[in-house]
Amino acid sequence: MMTPMDSTAKSHALVVRGLRKTVPVGFRRKQIEILKGVDLAVRHGDVFGLLGPNGAGKTTTVKIVVGLMRPTAGAVELGVDGAGETGYLPENPYFYEYLSGREFLNLCGRLFALERQHRLERVGELLRDVGLEAAADTHLRKYSKGMLQRIGIAQALINDPKLVLLDEPMTGLDPVGRVEVKRIIESLRDCGKTVLFNSHILSDVGELCSHIAIMTAGKVVWDGSVDEALGASNGGLEQFFMDVVSS
Amino acid sequence: MRGVVLALVALACMAAVVGFQVTRPVKAAGNPQVFVPSSHFYEKLSPSYRTSIADVYWLGIVQYYGEHIDGDRRLDSLPAMLDLVTALSPRFIEPYLFSTFALADAGQPQTAYDLLQRGYRANPRNWRLPYQLGFLAYTYGQGKKKKALTAAKWFTIASGLPGSPAFIPRLAAGMLSRGGEREKAIIMWGPIYTEGDKFAREKAVASLDYLLPKGKEARMRAVVPLYDTMPKQEFEALTAELFKGYAP
Amino acid sequence: MSRALAIAVNTFRETIRDRILGVIVVFALLMIVGSLWLASISLGQEGRMMKDFGLVAVSLFGLIVAVFVAASLVHKEVEKRTVYVIFSKPVGRAQFIFAKFVGLAATLACVLAGMGLFLFFADWAVSKAPSAMILAATALIYLELLVVVAVTIVLSTMTSAILASVLGITVFVAGQLSRQALSLTSLGHSPVLKGLSWFVYVLIPNLNAVDVKPSVVGELAPDWSQVAAWSGYLVAYAVLALLLASWLFSRKEF
Repeated sequence: MMTPMDSTAKSHALVVRGLRKTVPVGFRRKQIEILKGVDLAVRHGDVFGLLGPNGAGKTTTVKIVVGLMRPTAGAVELGVDGAGETGYLPENPYFYEYLSGREFLNLCGRLFALERQHRLERVGELLRDVGLEAAADTHLRKYSKGMLQRIGIAQALINDPKLVLLDEPMTGLDPVGRVEVKRIIESLRDCGKTVLFNSHILSDVGELCSHIAIMTAGKVVWDGSVDEALGASNGGLEQFFMDVVSS
Repeated sequence: MRGVVLALVALACMAAVVGFQVTRPVKAAGNPQVFVPSSHFYEKLSPSYRTSIADVYWLGIVQYYGEHIDGDRRLDSLPAMLDLVTALSPRFIEPYLFSTFALADAGQPQTAYDLLQRGYRANPRNWRLPYQLGFLAYTYGQGKKKKALTAAKWFTIASGLPGSPAFIPRLAAGMLSRGGEREKAIIMWGPIYTEGDKFAREKAVASLDYLLPKGKEARMRAVVPLYDTMPKQEFEALTAELFKGYAP
Repeated sequence: MSRALAIAVNTFRETIRDRILGVIVVFALLMIVGSLWLASISLGQEGRMMKDFGLVAVSLFGLIVAVFVAASLVHKEVEKRTVYVIFSKPVGRAQFIFAKFVGLAATLACVLAGMGLFLFFADWAVSKAPSAMILAATALIYLELLVVVAVTIVLSTMTSAILASVLGITVFVAGQLSRQALSLTSLGHSPVLKGLSWFVYVLIPNLNAVDVKPSVVGELAPDWSQVAAWSGYLVAYAVLALLLASWLFSRKEF
């Protein structure tokens, strides 16, 4: 399902074609279609916002890209070298609470088979970048929500990925937390990485993203640049979003 | 106020729990007849747990014996329990040995004898089993000479097994003598003299002096078989003592 | 390999820190000490009682640790969604299952070694002579429990943690009765019944093929070549179970 990209599409970090997903629900295992043919194209270096109301299928789409779920139909093509060059932050992340921040990042680094010296340096670097140096040796169970999001982003970057997938990275954060996460996403953009993130918070999307796609009921109903979206509506991105979703 | 009420309730419950327990009557000695399954039932179980089950029954035997021997002196189920334990764990020696006295107390020395024989077949290198068999045979056997010879047979076996004490050969020799096997008894005293301490040697000399004919010629003929059972030096020392007081 | 090792080490740290293990180990030690009390009413057989009941304690409490931790090992990762962190990285499903197993095997080794060594030294103090057979018996109990862990992991990929624990204990008991399953194969005339009996007999892990525990208390020593063959069987069975667990787990979505 996940295939390397053909030469015509190498300008894209991620292409999703006709993605469908059906899941069995309830005692009688009734088949419910969550994704009804999703198409996405994310160029290298883009900060891509995937928007939509709850239940639109954003998280399912990202999970299929990452490999946590298998599509019923359709294809995912990566312009990067698979899981080795991808980083992922799940929604409402939960990590090993008995590990410290440093131990957790070390574990993640070992899952990428990073060399010891390189791994230790990378861990130190990321702890600085996400502002968790002081709490590096504290157990994760004592981390606040904001700290957990930041360590989550750090583990998504441990392998210095080219494609970073962030599922609702700002959910549940206070304003300070949101500013910190936005700063991290901006620095990823500045480093030339491709970022795809789901979000409900349209003001953040407007500030950070170059392109967006809007999903409702398992399909992408609109995609294009943020400028196009703003140009199409007098009321800003929120109004544009409401118009698209309700139409 | 609520805390006080809860504390009072807790105290009352504690008093009820402790009070109930301490007022239970002490368990009287149980029924002398208890249900003892056949070993076949447990043999189907994993062999790894057979010995554990044997141990549990062994503890039961100790309790059962203790309960009844000072009470009604009824040990009706003791043979079955001992049979079960030894069937499950044939190399568990203590139950065989225990049966010597316990089953005799239960009025079943033949059962003890049979059990000990079974134990000896399962543990042929343990001296205590033939020793107990000899003891049982002499204590409860029939016929003065017959029981002495049976005991002598078992003591002789025991004396040849590793770890057997020094007195057992003397017991065997004594039994042989009581059983009328004078010549065999004489031969037994030779090794006892050779290997024994000062006491054993004195005992050997005294017993041989009793067993051997009094006449010099006859005595000399009678000690000849001893020559093959002892080193030359020991033989000469022994015969010197046996012929002390005889004219050269 | 280093990925699998990282997961195994993480699993070891997670399970060894679990306070429930400490409680169980203390409880097992209490039982072993309790066997000494029993020994005082055994007419001088305290050495034998200590060995026998002590090994039963090692076996039963090792079983509790094995089953309850194994049942939640994979389940907890799925429930708490830490699998998202693992499988968004280049880690295979089979790699994950085997690594979790190795981590728990290391923890179980520590627990059993602790109990086995305690029993060894306690028995030495009571019997005035060391019994290396206690250590050999403990090692074989460990191998048996590894099979139970592997089977419980399989069950946990199909059902809830509680049900997997109960079924894991059931498999242990069934394994102790493997010989009875064999004798069932010779009963009856129906080929279907015989076939089914053979299937059940082969399916259930044989956890009592060789008697080592009785030799600890002085019964006949086992045939060590049979012990080696049985150990090989146990390892092969555990590997098969883990392969099945890997296949079942690979079909799961998160």
